[in-house]
Amino acid sequence: MNEMAKPPVPGIGITAKYPEIGTGPCDTAIYHEPEIYEKEMAAIFRRSWYMIGRVEQIPKSGDFFTYYLPTFRLEVLVCRDRHGEVNAFHNVCTHRGNVVEHRREGHSSGLFVCRFHGWSFDLEGNLAKIRDEEGFFGVDKACNGLKPIPMGIWEGFIWVCPEDEPYQSLEDFLGDQGRDTAGYPWGACSQFYQTEAEVNCNWKLVNDSPAEVYHIPVLHPKSAAPTMMASGNVMGRLLDTRVRGNHRTNSHYSVLGEPKPVQKLAYFHAAAAQNVVQEQLDYEMPVGINPTRSPFWTVDLIMFFPTIAFTLSAGMYTAHQVWPLGPNKSIYQQRVFVRPARTAAERFGQENTMVEFRDIVMEDFSTLERIQRALDSGQIKQFHYHDHEMALRHQHHVVTRILADYDREQAAA
Amino acid sequence: MTDHSLPEGFADLERFVPEWVQPDAEHRLAKRLSTDMDAIKAFYGAMLARGEAALAWLRGHELGTLPPEGENLLRLMLMLAEVAPAVEWYNDQRVYDGFPVERLRYIHQISDTAAQV
Ligand code: FES
Ligand SMILES: [Fe+2]
Repeated sequence: MNEMAKPPVPGIGITAKYPEIGTGPCDTAIYHEPEIYEKEMAAIFRRSWYMIGRVEQIPKSGDFFTYYLPTFRLEVLVCRDRHGEVNAFHNVCTHRGNVVEHRREGHSSGLFVCRFHGWSFDLEGNLAKIRDEEGFFGVDKACNGLKPIPMGIWEGFIWVCPEDEPYQSLEDFLGDQGRDTAGYPWGACSQFYQTEAEVNCNWKLVNDSPAEVYHIPVLHPKSAAPTMMASGNVMGRLLDTRVRGNHRTNSHYSVLGEPKPVQKLAYFHAAAAQNVVQEQLDYEMPVGINPTRSPFWTVDLIMFFPTIAFTLSAGMYTAHQVWPLGPNKSIYQQRVFVRPARTAAERFGQENTMVEFRDIVMEDFSTLERIQRALDSGQIKQFHYHDHEMALRHQHHVVTRILADYDREQAAA
Repeated sequence: MTDHSLPEGFADLERFVPEWVQPDAEHRLAKRLSTDMDAIKAFYGAMLARGEAALAWLRGHELGTLPPEGENLLRLMLMLAEVAPAVEWYNDQRVYDGFPVERLRYIHQISDTAAQV
């Protein structure tokens, strides 16, 4: 990969580019107080969009997947209809509320049949058939189809909004961050591993975890740090943090360190999934990825506030997604997206990538429940953010601003 | 897995097939967590020495067309990827001071052997 001279270690000065964000210590109340969480639910979460899958998961008419949105306790059914369109519905049977489709994914011959009393719905959501219809007292089939959930597609990702009338369009929600990262070959990484875990911490801590690399030399001494150390970046600094509205991107820099033995097998003998050399890109890098155009760029963390971030390199990416469940409880979902393997050797490269990411995230997550205990017990009332922890300071700033705006909006109403 | 054979030239690794060929990533993780480090290191050492040869064989075979002995060889290599951090990073089955990996659920996996293109 990057075998050129060691880059100059980045300096201090990221925070100074965004004076409105400030430099002081930050109050930790937004990380644990139940009333604040309740307000976040109304002011932030119900007004946001949520990525639940990709169009490649349902290539043919009749293909479907279901998804549970734990934050909102909503069941969703996504399918491709007879015209090739992607539809998303609340996965709720209009007879008495069972899920219409209970399987996680599959192919429907054209009807979803509820496994309770057998009402059936077509791929467009119409109520097609009521079993033993003559026993009912005039149910109007035309008014009892599946209820659509607001859905939009960005770069092949399928997003839904929990509100019947979204506060903002998906396009506005994604904003400049969406425009500036469109065009990356998101769909080329069509293979993915997905894992999840319940973590007893506030949703912001999950976002914070990959959002600074100040910790890498200390928390990841054997795994991620050697590459960073090889670049002379012993303090763990970023190339840059770029703010775009509520969203933000961290650009990471390094040069390739000496790989470990199994990494060598993966990188040099198995076309490991992440090793697309920048000089040989088969696409044009969008302006929002490696925004500083550094030759020492390796990875961006592209955050779409409030709940999804992509760790993205030239050849693959990982989606980190958090589903808030309460002031100190969240579900973390990780998807590792890689390019398809043709040969069996390339399959080994994919596995190496997944295992490395998983174990490094387990290193990261060791801190989350410990921090939350310190928050819940009132033992840490302020966070002090380093210049290169600016993404966390920005998140604090955005949440605080939205909640204040919401208070004003409620007072005016 | 009842067939313990590997492609020609890999007979030295056949002794690992019964225990170390696992059906998917979730089982590979469980195998790593439930095996003592001496056994993990013995497997790792033997596989690493044959890693380049194994990958040369696997490079010549497309996913979706593997004979049963080829699937075994691939799955041994996937297991090598799983145990590598235990040997190279932690000297322990577990992530050092890590979040308990048992709490992670696999929701979607990439097939070990099916064609992807
Ligand atoms: S709830 Fe679906 S048929 Fe009764
Ligand atoms: Fe980390």
